[in-house]
Amino acid sequence: MIQFVLSRLAQSTVVLLIMSFTIYGLMGLMPGDPIDLMITSDPKITTEDAARLRELYGLNAPLTDRYWHWLTNALKGDFGFSRMFSRPVFDVIWPALGNTLQLLGLSFLLALVIAIPLGIIAAVKPYSKLDYAINLFVFAGISVPPFWLALLLITLFSVIFGILPAGGTAEAAGVAGVWESAKYLILPVASLTIASIGGHTRYMRASMIETLGNDFIRTARAKGLSWYQVITGHALRNALIPVVTVVALDFGYLFSGALVTETIFAYPGMGKLIFDAIMGNDYNLALITLLLATALTLFGNFAADIAYTWLDPRLSFRKTRR
Amino acid sequence: MSMRVAQPSHLVWQRLCRHQMAVVSGAVLLCLVILSGGAPLWITLLELDGQSVDLFNRFQPASAQHPLGTDELGRDLLARLLEGGRVSLFVGLVAAFFASLIGTLIGITSGYFGGRLDAILMRITDGIISLPMLPLLIVLAAIDLSKLGLPDAIVNSENASLFRIATIVALAGWTTVARLVRAETLALRERDYVRASHAQGASSVRIMRVHILPNLAASIIVATTLSTGHIILLESVLSFLGLGIQPPVASWGNLLTNAQELIWEAPRLAFYPGALIFISVIAFNFLGDGLRDALDPKSATPQK
Amino acid sequence: MHLIKRLLFLSFALLLMPVPALGASKEKLVIGITQFPSTFHPNIDAMAAKSYIHAMVARPFTTHDKNWNLVCLLCTQLPTIENGMAKPEKTPEGKDGIAVTYAIHPKATWGDGVPVSTKDVLFTWRVGRHEKSGIGNIELYRSLYKIDVLSDKSFTLHFDKLTFDYNGINDFNLLPAHIDEANFSDPETYKNKTAYDTDPLNKGLFFGPYLITDIASGSHVILKPNPTWYGPPPKFDQIVVRAIGNTAALEANLLSGGIDMIAGELGLTIDQAISFEKRHRDKYNVIFKPGLIYEHIDLNLENPLLADVRVRRALVHAIDRETISERLFDGRQPVAHTSVNPLDWVFADDVPKYEFSPDKANALLDEAGWNTRKRGIRHNAQGEKLTFEIMTTAGNRTRELVQQILQSQWKSVGIEITIKNEPARVFFGQTMTERRYSGLGMYAWMSSPENVPRTTLHSNHIPTTANNFTGQNYTAFKNAEMDALLERIETELDKTKRLEMWRRIQHIYAEELPVIPLYFRASAFVLPKGLTGVEPTGHQYSTTLWIENWDYQK
Repeated sequence: MIQFVLSRLAQSTVVLLIMSFTIYGLMGLMPGDPIDLMITSDPKITTEDAARLRELYGLNAPLTDRYWHWLTNALKGDFGFSRMFSRPVFDVIWPALGNTLQLLGLSFLLALVIAIPLGIIAAVKPYSKLDYAINLFVFAGISVPPFWLALLLITLFSVIFGILPAGGTAEAAGVAGVWESAKYLILPVASLTIASIGGHTRYMRASMIETLGNDFIRTARAKGLSWYQVITGHALRNALIPVVTVVALDFGYLFSGALVTETIFAYPGMGKLIFDAIMGNDYNLALITLLLATALTLFGNFAADIAYTWLDPRLSFRKTRR
Repeated sequence: MSMRVAQPSHLVWQRLCRHQMAVVSGAVLLCLVILSGGAPLWITLLELDGQSVDLFNRFQPASAQHPLGTDELGRDLLARLLEGGRVSLFVGLVAAFFASLIGTLIGITSGYFGGRLDAILMRITDGIISLPMLPLLIVLAAIDLSKLGLPDAIVNSENASLFRIATIVALAGWTTVARLVRAETLALRERDYVRASHAQGASSVRIMRVHILPNLAASIIVATTLSTGHIILLESVLSFLGLGIQPPVASWGNLLTNAQELIWEAPRLAFYPGALIFISVIAFNFLGDGLRDALDPKSATPQK
Repeated sequence: MHLIKRLLFLSFALLLMPVPALGASKEKLVIGITQFPSTFHPNIDAMAAKSYIHAMVARPFTTHDKNWNLVCLLCTQLPTIENGMAKPEKTPEGKDGIAVTYAIHPKATWGDGVPVSTKDVLFTWRVGRHEKSGIGNIELYRSLYKIDVLSDKSFTLHFDKLTFDYNGINDFNLLPAHIDEANFSDPETYKNKTAYDTDPLNKGLFFGPYLITDIASGSHVILKPNPTWYGPPPKFDQIVVRAIGNTAALEANLLSGGIDMIAGELGLTIDQAISFEKRHRDKYNVIFKPGLIYEHIDLNLENPLLADVRVRRALVHAIDRETISERLFDGRQPVAHTSVNPLDWVFADDVPKYEFSPDKANALLDEAGWNTRKRGIRHNAQGEKLTFEIMTTAGNRTRELVQQILQSQWKSVGIEITIKNEPARVFFGQTMTERRYSGLGMYAWMSSPENVPRTTLHSNHIPTTANNFTGQNYTAFKNAEMDALLERIETELDKTKRLEMWRRIQHIYAEELPVIPLYFRASAFVLPKGLTGVEPTGHQYSTTLWIENWDYQK
């Protein structure tokens, strides 16, 4: 077990290191640099100003030097300043991270809460009308372009019905703010959930169908147990195994995939931050946020593997059985 | 994990036909492919014009001359949709095909030869899987091609964005197929007839080509179908971010993006591309689903 | 089941609770903009979003008002040579300079009670002059070589050049010495330590009608009236500025009541605003103000095909700018004939104008030797094709629309145009600055009232590898008379003489056509009926500089 954890840790570090260099390199391939952006917004900046600013921000050094400089600092714990926001990188990230965790956490949980029962129901009676209905509903969710869905929700609930805000975050703080924040979260969460239910339901369904085809299930049914007892008692645990892997992988995707939702709902989260950082050529911020996203996915995989072994008694990292 | 063995094709067809949604989807997709693939043909036949700008006919409603009306520049909407479909479906299918190609090559090599090669390839694959897909695509879509040393003629061509999108999506998407193929190759490698062939002195390439590959065909087809739908959606998201297919080349994605601001003025400009994306993606999903059920001998049969 | 029923009931109740304060009122005004400021420091990084908000919490000494006249905001009287408060003098090096005396408003006080004084002036000057402080444009600080402190509230500035705009220090935004001086002890780290970003809610940073009381990074900023403000008290108890990047969502927020108005400085696109006005004119006032954003097409004069002025004139004759303005922009964006805006007092209307005439275009092209047609496109006797590439910023829908219209119009006179767009950072960062565009480059210049186009038209300012790409004369325009005029005009203080020079400049511009003028972009201010006092200026200084005049009546 310890060996597994350590080897995973080592692997993850290598991936993160390679990732950091690749991103730095790729961003270097992006045309223009941060100062060019300043020029577009300020008509009075002269080319002398631009040269001076480039010197100031150290943009004249070759890419490999800059990367090395960044790496050595990062390993010491100094992640540098975001050029765009003129603040330490993590000061910029914390609020966005908090917002994203709220958004993703809620939609992730909601998606699971809906998808697992739906998948089970569909699996119990495959190819029935109910199954088709669920499939249709679920496929519809994953087939619709996300910004179309978001605008549709806004038009319906904010403009036409006027019961929910169309975007942004709550103004009030404290207790009153909690209620208000909830209202601001409803549409974005709905938008994200609809998009992710599809995959989870399908996996649950497929996995459950396979599990239900096993002999021990037939035996249990033959013994007179109801579907409910069979599923919760025997099938669920087995069926959840592959689902856990997939779901854990998805968690990492959600992180940056919420970009479209955040843009339309003007919700200041990590997705939008990553995009702005990349497009704004803010190396420090882009690198850290991307590495965070990668680390999260790696962690998701790791957690999935651990859960996998915990759920399936046939696999174990320890020599003795539990 | 179920193993798939090549099924006699008539059996597969029978099972597929039982899957109503898959059949319907297949038919719908066929229609879409014919309509958009032959877009230039239909456009000339119907005498539509998706290119010329006509400032005096902006936002016209449906009429005999313009079956779906005109867009914000007076161009015929139906023609734009057909041309857009050609681009979107092309990108989807080509990218999915190449992603599967790369994935298959890597997966089969990894699974068959095993050992060190397998370990390296799989570490690379795992590495790429852990990367956040969308930001990576954003970075790749934004880099300057001429900095890479590509000749100017390619960089400046009108279709540059098309090939760029197809390439980066393929580069990012081969991992699922690779893993799938590897897993199945590992199992197939142990089959008796493969062992026998090896004992007889057949070369690795021959074994892979003759014995393993055909048995993989089913899963690869399913995976490709499913990923095509996903890619079409991805293209629309990239267009939303301004990094997708660039106008004036039309794609469903960029038609939809341009119509965002117009949803109150001319909702049909947003409705049609959105609906077409929706229908084609859902059709690809259902078809892939049906194919998977049809090609897997162990999948569930209707129960009471 | 019981639990589920309870949950359902609770969610219904939640939904039925009213959405916070719909509609404008004297208690709260919610303004929608399309970007969130990345930094709040007034002199680092000129972002429109930041200037918009900054104008609510502080004031510059001078600015241009809605009639484009220079006025005093923080100063008490505008110094001029005529009233004696500005005196031309010689600098220590013997150049012509000027000494300008200002007095700070006697009641100007920072939000924490400390009076605004000349200490702040000196501090701001020190920051501006330091090379490594991170200030973007330092020309103002460079030419200001000495400051005489006359009292706590008055001072004299000594400039090392004498130009006609000697008394306009619009961009001299005061920084509070008592707060930020400590952070400037190590100038190189100042931009990361400044209180504007590390302690942005500090009252001592503001002396305007409002204070920033809350910042939700990336989402909104909340402002409340500042008790130390020296002007008429502002009418709104609370102002919320919300940043919504997607313009479709911005409109949705307005319609659903999430925001009350949309700022024209950074809000809806022009066609979106035109469409909105048609649908909602009963509930909203939409003010279109054409401004100093000059949309045009640079022509690369080093392209041999464009070197012939007849070809350039033909290009302009072939396009129907009037109809584009009429149809696409509802006539709200007036066609431009030179880079000088009609609202500018130096505007000359009698310049050569190129009306839409494909016949004239064809005639000019034939005359220039492009008289063979192959598949509709003109070729010359050497077999060269008349083809150009037009570039602009990708993702700008309006520009893309215009490009496609122009492409089609040029095709009908036999000119082939290929469209190639790039993200703004590439376009401005490399393509234009290094003159890598081969034919046509479409973009906009932002300028200010009576802005002398020296860097864009003088032959010394052509960016080349030799001068490390300094200068903004992207067309590579070389005209001796224009050069001479540009050199003399800045120092010409006599208004009549200057007017004549401006006339000449505009004439040369229109005759030689280094640039195809398109139109002056308009900003659309979407205001609820009953909101008064918002007066669009047409230049880059925001309407919020007069926010104490805004009022709401049902």
